[in-house]
Amino acid sequence: MKNHKFLIIPLLCLMLPASFLLSILFGSVSVGISDICSSILFQKTDSTVYTLITAVRLPRALGGLFAGIGLSVSGVILQTVMNNALASPATIGVNSGSGFAVMLAMLLFPHNVLLIPASAFVGALFTSLAVFALAYLADSSRTTIILAGITISSFLNAGINTIKILDTELSVNLTSFLSGSLSGLTLGRLTFPCLCILTAFFFSLCLGRVLNILGLGDDIARSLGLNVSFTRLLLLTLSSLLAGCVVSYAGLLSFVGLIVPHVCRQLFGNDARFLLPCSALLGGSFVLCCDLLGRLLFRPFELPAGIIMAFIGGPFFLYLLLKKKGGRRVNA
Amino acid sequence: MLEFRNVSVSCGRTPILNSVSVSFPKGCITTLIGPNGCGKTTLLQCLNGVSTVTSGAVFLDGEDYLQLSLRERARRVSFLPQTRTVIPSIPARMLVEHGRFPYLGFSRKKTEKDVRIVEDAMNFTHTFPFAGQSVDTLSGGIRQRVFFAMTLAQDCDYIVLDEPTTYLDPYGQKEFLDMIRELKAQGKTIVLTLHDLNQALQVSDRLIVMKDRAIVAQDTPSKCLESRILEKVFGVTCKQFSDQDRTYYFFQ
Repeated sequence: MKNHKFLIIPLLCLMLPASFLLSILFGSVSVGISDICSSILFQKTDSTVYTLITAVRLPRALGGLFAGIGLSVSGVILQTVMNNALASPATIGVNSGSGFAVMLAMLLFPHNVLLIPASAFVGALFTSLAVFALAYLADSSRTTIILAGITISSFLNAGINTIKILDTELSVNLTSFLSGSLSGLTLGRLTFPCLCILTAFFFSLCLGRVLNILGLGDDIARSLGLNVSFTRLLLLTLSSLLAGCVVSYAGLLSFVGLIVPHVCRQLFGNDARFLLPCSALLGGSFVLCCDLLGRLLFRPFELPAGIIMAFIGGPFFLYLLLKKKGGRRVNA
Repeated sequence: MLEFRNVSVSCGRTPILNSVSVSFPKGCITTLIGPNGCGKTTLLQCLNGVSTVTSGAVFLDGEDYLQLSLRERARRVSFLPQTRTVIPSIPARMLVEHGRFPYLGFSRKKTEKDVRIVEDAMNFTHTFPFAGQSVDTLSGGIRQRVFFAMTLAQDCDYIVLDEPTTYLDPYGQKEFLDMIRELKAQGKTIVLTLHDLNQALQVSDRLIVMKDRAIVAQDTPSKCLESRILEKVFGVTCKQFSDQDRTYYFFQ
């Protein structure tokens, strides 16, 4: 169990830059690698290749990278805070909450770039607190949390659909938004959410040990001197910030936040000090690869990353679930 | 000495305990006994903050315990709760290391001293051979000993154990009580709740008898037997049998 850690971690560290590079080099328009290299190296700012790379592919790759990091880390945190293996930004309705808030913000204040990530964060925080409060009132059983999440999620999705149908001028592609997509990103739109994700990610890395203690259950965590309510609130805020920022530019990417933490639990066990960085590495590569596949599979058509993710992630997740019999149980 | 003075506890808006005063003398084994639902756990949970004290005070060696920070409390009094809401899927050794959390906090690296305390705790509880095994794959008895080792790794002078023998078979219970006696010999103060009256009488220096959310008696086991308070509270009769070593009590 322990030894393969030291093989897989370097592998993950290599996978992330590799998939980042690949998603810059390849895409729906095929460009020669030598063209790309020369236009970047010699700063041919007027060439179409340079524009393609800097204005289209680089933002897209960055967006994918941070979407993966944000959602996977948010998933790890939510699973521990809610003590629930099924928790993730998508399953407990955090994504829908921030999606709804984004739609609302676009409807009320169009053209305000900063307001979108802010409202996404507020929507995410509000939903996760609501789900947690609901589950707590109903005596916090594990199914209750998920049921509450699913209910809130479908309620808010109905809201998203209504807004889109009523306001036809809204510049959002509903299919892409609901399944999660990385097309049409610009660096300007990305800067603020990505900085937030990066900050929240580094902050959460410091909280690995606290997550481990919280994972022991409230009674024991309290006996070990942890301020459980405060820590939980802090972690819910962090995970909402991570998920909300991703939703603000990539829509409701659903599978990453659930699958990536689970795969990492299988590989590395339940120590959050490993889980957090490894989920970030794997999550980033996973989203980048899915997005790349979506661009390449049916060229010149493009499938949103979220759809590819569901195609690959779903069966893989089922495989893991079935294989797991008698194996390592999730700490939740 | 750990002392509760006129402590009242409410759960939500329902008052559970009303103005309870008890004391746990230093270096002694004090056992709380009483029928289910009499408030033993609620009383002890004032110590780890799961129940909230609405009035009164708790003093630890003369200091106001409730004014201490949560971390400071966990360095002075270690508490093993009765229920397990989560059976963690982590190696036993890691669980025991979590007992060092009150000292390590968010970020401090563990030192040789921390490692030594963890290993001592595992050796003391005979759980060292299971160090690498995942806690959720261990049998109930060993699992309980691993949790106990975690409590010991907190390295506190006061050790509070809420029904520690619940998960154990008769031999495991005997072993556990022996460990508790040895901790007392090391100078620790032990507070525990037990359901087995014979065990409580054998192991304790003092008994605190509770009924209907109130303290009925606090005295030595022999005084409690003399006053027949146990028989009244539990509605049973007591028979004594003696051999050359000790006296056994049988309640029916």
